[in-house]
Amino acid sequence: MNRAAIIALVALSACQGGRKEAVQVGYRGTGQVLVYDKSVLEAQGAANRLPPPIAPASPNSPVVKWQNVQVLTDVSANELNRTMIAMTQWVSPKQSCVYCHNPANFGSDEKYPKVVARRMLQMTRHINSNWQAHVQGTGVTCYTCHRGNNVPPVGIWYFTDENQYLRAFLDRQDVRVQAQTVGHTNLDNTSIRQATNTYALMIHMSRSLNVTCNACHASRSWTTWQNAPPARITALYGIRMVRDLNTNYLLSIASAFPPYRLGPHGDSPKLQCSTCHEGQWKPLNGAQMVKDYPSLWGAPQWARGGPSDTGSVGFKDLRNADSIPVDGGKILGPQSGMPRTAPSPQPVPGMTTAPNGASPQK
Amino acid sequence: MLEYQNLFNRVQVRTVAPDPGVELQPDTWVRQWKPEFKHWLGKIGDAQVGPIYLGVTGVMSLIFGFFAIEIIGLNMWASVGWNPIEFIRRLPWLALEPPPPAYGLHIPPLNQGGWWLMAGFFLTTSIILWWVRVYRRARALGLGTHLAWAFASAIFLYLSLGFIRPVLMGSWGEAVPFGIFPHLDWTAAFSIRYGNLFYNPFHMLSIAFLYGSTLLFAMHGATILATSRLGSDREIEQITDRGTGAERAQLFWRWCMGFNATMESLHRWCWWFAFLTTFSGAIGILLTGTVVDNWYLWAVKHHVAPEYPATIEISPEKLKDLGGQYQGAPPDTFPGLRGRITTPTPAQQAPGGGAPVPKRNEPLNAPATVAPPPEVNRPPGALNVPAGASDQPARAPAAKVDSTRRSP
Repeated sequence: MNRAAIIALVALSACQGGRKEAVQVGYRGTGQVLVYDKSVLEAQGAANRLPPPIAPASPNSPVVKWQNVQVLTDVSANELNRTMIAMTQWVSPKQSCVYCHNPANFGSDEKYPKVVARRMLQMTRHINSNWQAHVQGTGVTCYTCHRGNNVPPVGIWYFTDENQYLRAFLDRQDVRVQAQTVGHTNLDNTSIRQATNTYALMIHMSRSLNVTCNACHASRSWTTWQNAPPARITALYGIRMVRDLNTNYLLSIASAFPPYRLGPHGDSPKLQCSTCHEGQWKPLNGAQMVKDYPSLWGAPQWARGGPSDTGSVGFKDLRNADSIPVDGGKILGPQSGMPRTAPSPQPVPGMTTAPNGASPQK
Repeated sequence: MLEYQNLFNRVQVRTVAPDPGVELQPDTWVRQWKPEFKHWLGKIGDAQVGPIYLGVTGVMSLIFGFFAIEIIGLNMWASVGWNPIEFIRRLPWLALEPPPPAYGLHIPPLNQGGWWLMAGFFLTTSIILWWVRVYRRARALGLGTHLAWAFASAIFLYLSLGFIRPVLMGSWGEAVPFGIFPHLDWTAAFSIRYGNLFYNPFHMLSIAFLYGSTLLFAMHGATILATSRLGSDREIEQITDRGTGAERAQLFWRWCMGFNATMESLHRWCWWFAFLTTFSGAIGILLTGTVVDNWYLWAVKHHVAPEYPATIEISPEKLKDLGGQYQGAPPDTFPGLRGRITTPTPAQQAPGGGAPVPKRNEPLNAPATVAPPPEVNRPPGALNVPAGASDQPARAPAAKVDSTRRSP
């Protein structure tokens, strides 16, 4: 009897203890339920807190007049200073200003991180202005990925080989493999290997966000949109966003990087879902960090291909290459003509909320 | 009283000397292994071990099987750079993969799936030789050949997965890889590719027979153990001459469910459930991709699966945008027997398809050093696909997917 009790205890020890909350995300009876462990959510929430915000810049200061400012030309000198301090805190807290700047000549582009940072500023504005289909009102800042490191600590990847499934985040077609008809011809000759790639990519995304398949899919039919949770649409735009960013902002600045920052095939570091998400379904608990930093707000003229997008010095500009559309900002339609504003207000509680309303605070 | 409620055999029947078996037919291979009694084997089966009869087919089967395992194992070992520790550590994830899809049914180089073909040939030969051995040993003892035909059903499933269906589809790449997790991943990918295999009615049947087999197995084993002290362990005699053990067992099941199998028919139930598990599974595999491309849609069409109401509203324009495209083009897809589909619209004109990206086999629009080595895992010169197919631009966007896209 004792032995049986011990065996039962050992078997149960594989179970997770914490409080659970189940959230229905699909039609009743279809098993579309997400189960959250509140202790996990709480631990994640505590591990992904924001750094303290920097005091707002005093208003009414003049527009910046410093030399060689190419991106932050539309903010006041005080706001530019404040942005520089914030970026130092987010990206190079150990090295401080001199990580990017020559202290004798702050306008100089001689240090490569400055050239990269300029492009990254453009990228951040591009995301906040043109990819609201994915980042919605939350927006991103440098800290979303960098978290106080020169190089984002999670999810940086390089080319390995032809079959690398991560290339769906760069130069592959979409990941669909299922036929759209009952069919009897295997219409597209899509192979099992391609299905394996898609499968690998999806599991990768699932781990990046710490969610299960049915966070985005009605698993009886992976392709259905109408029966899937809306998160699937957000995730699809996320894939497209990552492709856009990798192709137009990261791959293109390979020549700006020193060799030791490049991959084995000479490609620049690239991002993926986990670079921002770091295991959370909403990065940084979904906090709208960017609302405190107007320099990073989206501005249509800063869109890729927009009138102010001058590219950057020192790397090949892909904007006019044949395969890259210059009207990237139009992809999402409604956002392309928007005025320069902060992302739409969104209440940000101090703690995370789970998708679709589960809250560890309840 | 508790003799038959123990986990292990309480009774070990031992003859005075080990039983050498029936007289050999002339001209047969002699039996190996001098028979002897083993107490611990007697706990789970017959205490007598041997003699073993291998014969020509047995020996050949073992040799071919050894070739297959050796090819698979050495390929796996090579894939971790001949590092013995990594080989053991990663063994569950190592694979010998079938040829890339682009080879179709052509013979690829050894390191592009040629080894897989060879291992498959040896393994198949080994299995079929073993089947011959099972058949011939049964005949040699004057038995029926029930075992051989049940085994044949399993072989039919194995061949359907690894040979018949790939041939029907026109690509070795459709077959199952060798490897522990890789073959399980293949199973998942296969189900994903063909729209959820759970909606395949033959898969349903196969599962029903499989679970039914376990149920019958448990019911039968329990019934006989529970009644053996009353003599129903003499099952075969009691087919025609029912004693009190058989009578009570059968009455038990009539009490419980109003019906009972007989001492004879029970064994037919078991045999057919086992046979049909793999046989119906094989039919389901053979229909997948050849006749039905999406089992979920098949099930909805035939009212097997309900069509649930939409939980989110999406405009048709938005749906077009979301639909996306099939991934990749040759060589990721396989040529098939009907040739490739011609695509009317290049990928670049995908309506709102996000930032169109360079095509699968196009060099990236980036410094030359950025592009990965183009030859990795790509079979140059192996694309024996219909003319004009290998330079096909890409898949049509989702908006264009309809039945008119079928090739003539």
